[in-house]
Amino acid sequence: MSKEKTLPAPRVRKENRINRFGVFDFILVTLLSILGLMIVYPFYNTILVSIVPQAEYVRQPFMLWPSSITWECYEFVFDSPLLLNSMWNSAKLTFVGTIYNMVLTVLMAYAFTKPIPGRNFFRFLMVFTMYFGGGLVPTYLLYKGLGLVGNFWVMVLPSGISVTYMLIVSSNMSSLPAELEESAQIDGATDVSILFRIILPLTLPILATFTLYYAVERWNEWYSAMLYLKDYEMWPLQLTLRQIISSANFISTQAMTGDIRPPTYGEGIKMACIVVTVFPLMALYPFLQRYFLTGLTLGAVKG
Amino acid sequence: MFMSPNLNRAHDAISLRTAKGRKLLLKKIWQYKWIYLIMLLPGLAVTVLFRYLPLPGIALAFKTFKPVFGKTGLFGFLTASPWVGFTHFTRLFKESAFWVATGNTLYISLLKLIFGFPFPVILAIMINEMTLKKYKRVLQTVYTFPHFLSWVVLSGIILNLFGDSGVIKKVAVLFDPALQDGWNVLYNTAYFRTLLILSDMWKEGGWGTILYLAAITGIDPALNEAATIDGANRMQRILHITLPSIMDLVVIMFILQVGNMMNSNFDQIFNLYSAPVYKVADVIDTYVYRITFQSSTVMDYGFSTAVGLFKNVINFALLLAANYTSKAAGGDGIM
Repeated sequence: MSKEKTLPAPRVRKENRINRFGVFDFILVTLLSILGLMIVYPFYNTILVSIVPQAEYVRQPFMLWPSSITWECYEFVFDSPLLLNSMWNSAKLTFVGTIYNMVLTVLMAYAFTKPIPGRNFFRFLMVFTMYFGGGLVPTYLLYKGLGLVGNFWVMVLPSGISVTYMLIVSSNMSSLPAELEESAQIDGATDVSILFRIILPLTLPILATFTLYYAVERWNEWYSAMLYLKDYEMWPLQLTLRQIISSANFISTQAMTGDIRPPTYGEGIKMACIVVTVFPLMALYPFLQRYFLTGLTLGAVKG
Repeated sequence: MFMSPNLNRAHDAISLRTAKGRKLLLKKIWQYKWIYLIMLLPGLAVTVLFRYLPLPGIALAFKTFKPVFGKTGLFGFLTASPWVGFTHFTRLFKESAFWVATGNTLYISLLKLIFGFPFPVILAIMINEMTLKKYKRVLQTVYTFPHFLSWVVLSGIILNLFGDSGVIKKVAVLFDPALQDGWNVLYNTAYFRTLLILSDMWKEGGWGTILYLAAITGIDPALNEAATIDGANRMQRILHITLPSIMDLVVIMFILQVGNMMNSNFDQIFNLYSAPVYKVADVIDTYVYRITFQSSTVMDYGFSTAVGLFKNVINFALLLAANYTSKAAGGDGIM
C-alpha cells in the first residue's frame, strides 16, 4: 500500500483529466456565453422597445430593465384590422399549406420506395428542379396565365414539395425493415392501410420534423405574396410587417381606416409587430427543439 | 384488392423489349402498382405545372416582350413576342449595373466563404469541448433559434438596432459624443457588406454547427482516451483528432458552398439594402427583381429574362460541378 502511494501519478495525465474545470473551460464558457448574449440581446431589446413608453426609449441608452411598462403598442397591433387580418391570413396559409405540403411529400416519398415503373425518371424530374428553374419573369407570366396572380392560392399551391425533404423522408421509409410490410401484407393489409398503419407511425418523428419545417416556411412566407398579391388585405403577416418596417407611414396612411388612433411611437409599433410575428415560434421552439434539430442530421446519413 | 399473390416474381420477369413484357408491365401496373403511381401523381403534377411549365417562357430571353390581352392561352405571350436573337445579351454585357451586380454576387459569396464558412466549424468544436452539459443545451437552443426566423423579422430587428434611434448608436455616443450627428451605418457603403456577413453568421452560424456536431459525436471515444493517456492536451486533441475526423465533411460542405456562389441570399439583401448602398449590395437576384418590377423605364421582360437565364445557366453549371466534386470526395452531393 505504501509503495503505491510513493508512486505519483504522471503529472501530464492529471492536468488533462476531462472532468476538471480549468482555465480552458473558463475561457470557452465565457466566449460561448458572450455569443449567446449577442444572440439573445437583440430579441430582448426588441421586446423592451415594444413595451416601454416612447419617452423612455428615447432617453435610455442601454436598456436592461424597463422602468415603466405600457401595452399601448400591443393594443394598437391587436386593434388594427390590417394586422389582425394579416395574422389570420398567415394562420390560414400555415395550416392549409403545411397539410398540402405533407400530403404531397409523404405520398411521393412512399411511392418512391416502391419499384414503380419509371421511378428513376420521375426522381430525376424532381431533382432537376433543385438545379434549374424558369426564373422570375417566365414564372410570373405563367402564374398570371394560370390565374394565380391576386389569388390566395398562389402562396399555397406552387411550393408543393421540397425535394430535399421528400428524398430524406423517402430514404427513411425505405430503411424500415421490409419484413414489416410483408407480414402486414400476409395479414391482408392493403397498400393504403400499410402506409397509414405501419409506415407513417414508424416514421412519425421524421414527419414531425418536416411538418415543423414546412410550417415555419409557411409562416415566414412573404416573397410570393409580394410578387403576386397587390391587395394588402390578402397579405400574410410577414409581408405586412415588411411594409411596416420599410415605410414609416404605411401603417398610418394605408392601413388606418376610421376610428383607430394613429400611432405616435413608430419604433414601438414595429417592434411589437415583430414580437407578435415571432411569438408562436419563440413559444414552441424550446419544447419542440428535438424535432427542429434532427432534420439536418437525417439528411447527412441518407443513403 | 390491391394485392397480387406473385409480388416478387412478377417484378423480376418484366422486360420492356418484348411485346409480352410490355403487356406484362401494363398488367403489373394495373394489378397492384397503380396505387403507387396514383400516390406519385399529385406531387408530379404540381412539379410539372409550377416548375416545368415556366421553362418554355425562357424563350423570352431571345424575344421582345409584347403584352397580350384577352384569352390567348398559357403561352400567348410567347407567340406574340417576336424573336430578336441575342440582342438582350449583347446589351446585357454592355450594362454596367449588370457587371456591378455580378461582381457583388461573387464578392459577397466569397466573403461569406472566407468568414462565414469556418465559423460553424470552430463553433461546433467549441460547443463540443464544453463540459457543462445543461448549459450547453440551453446555448444550443439559443444559437439555432435565429435560423428559423425570416429575414423580414431580422431586418426589422437589425434596422432598429443599428438605426438612428437604436441602442448601438446610443451606446457608441456614450463613448464618443461626436457620433451623435451623422450616424450612418445602414446606408453606408463602407459598412454594408460587413453587416451582411456578420448578420448571416449571426443567423446561420449556430444552425451550421449541427452537422459538424453530429460528425464529432461519431468519433470513436477510444481515440481521445488513448491520446489523453499519451499526454495530449486539449488543444492537441482538437487539432489532431477532432479536426481531422470531421475534415471530410468540412471539405464537402466547402465544395457545396462554392457551388452556390451565384446564389446570393436574396431575402437577406432585399430586406436590408437601400438605394444608397446599391453599389456594394446589389446582386443579380435583386437586380433582376428591380429591373422587372421597380423599373422606372419601360418594362422589358425579355431583358430581365435574359439576365435571369444568364445567372441560372452559370449557377446550374456550378451546382453540377460542385455536386460531382463532392461525390468524388465521398459526399452525398446536394441530393
